[in-house]
Amino acid sequence: MEAEISINYLAISTELIVIFTIVGTISLDLILSKKSKYFVALFALIGSLISFIPVIFQWANYSKAIVLFEGSYVIDKFSIILKGLFILITYLTFLLSINFIESDSYYEGEYYFLLLSSLLGALVVASSRDLLTIFIGIELASGPMFLLSGWKKGDPKSNEGAIKFFLLGVLSASLILYGFSLLYGVTGKIIFAEIVASLSATGLHQSPVILLSAILILAGIGFKISVVPFHSWAPDTYEGAPLPVTAYLSISSKATGFLALIILFTKVFYESGSSWGVILVLISGATMFIGNLSALQQTNPIRLLAYSSIAQAGFILAPLAVAGITGNYDEGVYASITYLVIYAFMNMGAFLVVNILINASDSENIYEWGGLAKDSPMTGIFSVIFFFSLAGIPPLGGWFAKFVVFRSLLSTGEIFGLALGVVGAINAVIALVYYARISKIIWMDDSPAGERVVTVPNTLKVVGFISLALTILAGIFPGIFSNLGEASAIFFSS
Amino acid sequence: MTNILETFSNGLGISLVVFLPLVSAIFILFIPKTQEFLIKITTLASSVVTFLLSLIVAYQFDYDKAHTFQLGNKLSWIESINSNYEIGIDGISLPLLLLSTFISVLAIIYSFEHLPEPVNPKGMMSLILVLETGMNGTFVALDLILFFVFFELVLLPMYFMIGIWGDRTVRSVAGLKNEIETRLYASIKFFVFTLFGSAFMLLGFLGLYFRGNKTFSIPELIELGTSGAFTGTFATLVFAVLFLGFAVKVPMWPLHTWLPDAHTAAPTVGSVLLAAILLKLGSYGFVRIALPILPEQAKAWAPAIAILSAIGIIYGSLACLAQTDLKRLIAFSSVGHMGFVMLGISSLTSIGINAAMIGMVAHGIITGLLFFISGSMAHTYHTRDMGRLGGNMKLLPKTGALLGFTAMASLGLPGLAGFWGEFMALLGAYNPLSGLNITVFRTSMVAGAIGTVLTAGYLLWMLQRVNLGEPKEEWIGQELHDADNYELAAWIPLVILTVLIGVFPKLIFGSTNDAVINLVTKAFGG
Repeated sequence: MEAEISINYLAISTELIVIFTIVGTISLDLILSKKSKYFVALFALIGSLISFIPVIFQWANYSKAIVLFEGSYVIDKFSIILKGLFILITYLTFLLSINFIESDSYYEGEYYFLLLSSLLGALVVASSRDLLTIFIGIELASGPMFLLSGWKKGDPKSNEGAIKFFLLGVLSASLILYGFSLLYGVTGKIIFAEIVASLSATGLHQSPVILLSAILILAGIGFKISVVPFHSWAPDTYEGAPLPVTAYLSISSKATGFLALIILFTKVFYESGSSWGVILVLISGATMFIGNLSALQQTNPIRLLAYSSIAQAGFILAPLAVAGITGNYDEGVYASITYLVIYAFMNMGAFLVVNILINASDSENIYEWGGLAKDSPMTGIFSVIFFFSLAGIPPLGGWFAKFVVFRSLLSTGEIFGLALGVVGAINAVIALVYYARISKIIWMDDSPAGERVVTVPNTLKVVGFISLALTILAGIFPGIFSNLGEASAIFFSS
Repeated sequence: MTNILETFSNGLGISLVVFLPLVSAIFILFIPKTQEFLIKITTLASSVVTFLLSLIVAYQFDYDKAHTFQLGNKLSWIESINSNYEIGIDGISLPLLLLSTFISVLAIIYSFEHLPEPVNPKGMMSLILVLETGMNGTFVALDLILFFVFFELVLLPMYFMIGIWGDRTVRSVAGLKNEIETRLYASIKFFVFTLFGSAFMLLGFLGLYFRGNKTFSIPELIELGTSGAFTGTFATLVFAVLFLGFAVKVPMWPLHTWLPDAHTAAPTVGSVLLAAILLKLGSYGFVRIALPILPEQAKAWAPAIAILSAIGIIYGSLACLAQTDLKRLIAFSSVGHMGFVMLGISSLTSIGINAAMIGMVAHGIITGLLFFISGSMAHTYHTRDMGRLGGNMKLLPKTGALLGFTAMASLGLPGLAGFWGEFMALLGAYNPLSGLNITVFRTSMVAGAIGTVLTAGYLLWMLQRVNLGEPKEEWIGQELHDADNYELAAWIPLVILTVLIGVFPKLIFGSTNDAVINLVTKAFGG
């Protein structure tokens, strides 16, 4: 072993830039007067853009995985692509936030500071390969969200949602820790590779203790990704939180949770997949049904999106679940990650549309949105693209996401896969009803309040067009996601 | 010049036919709403050029090799799943492609002046163009995933067409507490039904992919299928889900319930495109995909399909006899006519499938025309209630004459296009592929024959109620507009085609026959 202790700073430059931006935003917030607080937002925007540069550089140059800190931290194409996603989503969330945060008496500086901290947590999760790092990453990603979800201080709903989120968040953290402690107790190791080696050496990988550990971790992360039966907090918290925060929660936080789940279950527990796979299959199916059937009843657009994102989580989970049973992890992870990436952009777009329409109609009841597409055809087209993409209608991106999931479910002809495939097909149809309802109301219903002025600030237009471009591109040239397949393959070979 | 034509035959021609409408639709989005004429002219120009291109394609098509896929290309599309942009046409898809480009032109001409509330030509025109891309694409796609994408692409435009320009009458629906506007109910019902079918169809495609050398290529899968690669429970399941996907679209009884609602609610252009082209996507799917790839399963399912078709024919005609709404009557007549198409397909003989092909084209032309006329009449009279209509011949002589002609064509009068499909489908059912249950097919044939009588019955009755007799008092003295030039420009070509195909069925068979015989020989050995 070489005696080199120097750190490859280039490999972690993304994280370093984000840390620098975090420090910068909070310092700027101290210095700047109340009037010029928008510089904080600008700084955060620029910082997150700059942090994207190393991502591109690393993607181009790192054909092999870079292993740091004695195996605790790995930078490979898989983590790079997800880091890129996290940064882009955070960037879009910033754009979504600027008008929102300025429009009311919110704290501005801290807002960006907290979002960036959460981003840092997500970045850490993507590369982590030991129990401590991944735990710190998960909690760093979700900790700031407790505060942000209660950002509307005067609103009792926001307070209620934040408290629920916080209490369940703490519970989930302790469940994850409990699971980790069992793993550590059995093996005495924290690095994943060493844990696996120790488990196979002792033949304990199928033992009840390890399975209990897996279930505890699953329950803990289940809260983060809000799958049934750990989903009940989500609609309340989503409804109470400021809208950009909700968008971030339902995209980035969820993606972080999924990523942690994928890393842990395919790197640590992969040999006991036949046991947890069945549990995940049940959770996945139940999540789709409960999410979709609940979404059908909603009149509040944010609660509707909350339940829709619960249902979508069921789809994201499905390939991983079946991969556990068949051992075909490569295929499963590729499908889950592809779904996650496409979901990120179309869901971002959906939140954007809801944001615009709530402002335009001054109402959080979708049935009062009648005729808004006539007042703003652009928003109308946005809503068609994003909501039907969520429903999986070709040629919009969502179809390919659903397609790769179905493909991985059917790949081995395994009965659980077939069953989940049928459940997925039925749910795709159920979901169509409420996704189409939004378009129906704004395009086909008559306006209850005469012509309304719909203003779409430029920052929101940028969010809209970026999401739109990616959603449509994903649908027409899904080939661009072949990189994800390559990345998943590298993820497993390292 | 020869160079251009050569690249044309390399897939460029068909690709243009498919994508020109979509590109024009995007272009139209950037024209301001107030420039209505520019929007209309651009749309018309685009669809006419598309039609001309499809004529060039038809000209370049080698009819001596109609059984092979021609003028196509195969480009890499989604490498990671081995799905390609593979296109091409053979004798089976060519007539349908021409039908699609042709009807689109007429639909656009009609829409120049005849859009219901909220008019908005920009929206309607771009939707028609997007729809056209979906329809044309489905007929040329030779890759299951590509086929699926085009097959689904038609859903969104049609959903919005029905939902925005559709019938605003308020009605009550069983199971719903509140009354609902017809258009809203019909549009989502259409969408949900078709998506339900196609979601399962996609699972079937994936099944074929995994059992068939991981390819989505239709020609390759046909080779595999005809050499017996797909068997057992697996094949039964796959055929079942494909059946679900296509049968909803056709629609076959008992999956047809979305159709009368959608047709009744849709604006005239929507009804025309729906009847003329969209329904064919389903029956085309059977001929292109289900039969050749899963021949053994097709044999096993054929009697069931024949029975369902026979039920559809009888049920459709009886339902027609019970209608008071003119448009709804024509909608139910589609169920019957598509029953004949499916009966032809289910016989698995070259006669039967040829019958289905000409039946599809004829139904597209005739029912398209019927919907044009009934839509126009509904617009003029502000009612579709046949009880209130009457004496149409005296009130609107041009429209009335055309309605009479089209009804005759629709009931299968020899010498007009509708005759061949019905007659030959019955012939096919009389003598189905050897090995199929003769009793079932001959019973279905008898049912079909009774259906032709009933069809004549309801159409003549409809003519009697609507066209003949003295005008009702409420219309006397009212100013009623007979067909104008835009309408005649859209309708006359269909009349001519109806006669032409009726007299020279070779127009269709010349293209389809070889391809159909090849299909039947390869798949069923007969």
